[in-house]
Amino acid sequence: MHELGIATNIYETCRRVVDEKGSGRLESVRLAVGELSAVEPECLRFAWEALTAGGADEGCRLEIDWRPARQHCPACGEVKVRPETRWLRVCPDCWTPLHIEGGDELEVIELSFEPSSPKETP
Amino acid sequence: MSPTIDVRRRVLEDNDREAARLRAAFAADGTLVVNLISSPGSGKTTLLETTIRTLAGRFTMAALEGDIATERDADRLRALGIPAHQILTGGSCHLDARLVAAGLERTAFPKVDLLFIENVGNLICPTAYDLGEDMKIALLSTAEGDDKPFKYPGIFARAGVVVITKADLAPHVVFDLEAVRAQVATLNPEAPLLVTSSRTGEGIGAWCDLLVSRLEAKRGGSRACP
Repeated sequence: MHELGIATNIYETCRRVVDEKGSGRLESVRLAVGELSAVEPECLRFAWEALTAGGADEGCRLEIDWRPARQHCPACGEVKVRPETRWLRVCPDCWTPLHIEGGDELEVIELSFEPSSPKETP
Repeated sequence: MSPTIDVRRRVLEDNDREAARLRAAFAADGTLVVNLISSPGSGKTTLLETTIRTLAGRFTMAALEGDIATERDADRLRALGIPAHQILTGGSCHLDARLVAAGLERTAFPKVDLLFIENVGNLICPTAYDLGEDMKIALLSTAEGDDKPFKYPGIFARAGVVVITKADLAPHVVFDLEAVRAQVATLNPEAPLLVTSSRTGEGIGAWCDLLVSRLEAKRGGSRACP
């Protein structure tokens, strides 16, 4: 249960990016979260809401692209289709032990923000 | 229309940067660093005690012990005559590279052959954090049951070595070693699986030999400090 820490890292990264572009309110953040990343999407959403509540970025949407791990056969060179959350023991075509690829993604892909309107001078 | 910005940044990039700095420092010192990960009570500290007793006099060792509370584990290893520092996370479920760096800075350990980092007992969260180690070691005690690799694929897929502990208890609990072997081979075909018991000494020689061979490989085949 370290999703609050992860949510904080995401928020700091996004704020930094927006602040580099000027200023504004975060509207949405899109993430890649891998099956083996040790992050539970629902816990992360809960942590994100708790973290942004009451602040300038309250209501910012968190969109999560779930990235399953893939099983690759070193002999045929192909990625094998596996049942969700289960693993193939060996390659169904040539019986070679498979290698796991990916599934450890934990990345901010993109964000959108609403730029602050320039203050009117009195 | 709100502007969209392409970010493409790893969420843990600050951690990974610190881990890379640590890894370079460990490489310069020729220290082999292992990060032990398991559930609470699977025998990480006991395996370290046995390892330290076995390798004492031949290699220099130190340990960082991660826990949410108490100095107990570091005390146990200090009692064996090695420098050990307790990192108290105060409730946090894992160590990160910043905590390891701060722990090392505070203790100013002498340069050692082997540095053990015992993570907080947890099979999930520690998996995501690179600590600059040479390898993660996943421990699984026989009493935890033989279904754990598939239930916690993140750590078993990433571990450099899988160590079964408490082999002496296997006859008294439900634990099918071949089922565990098959799961580990599926998730991580290259990872050696060692069966050990700190009580009887089973497999401890093989485990220590593996550490020594990895240390020698890291140093390009040269012998460790006399």
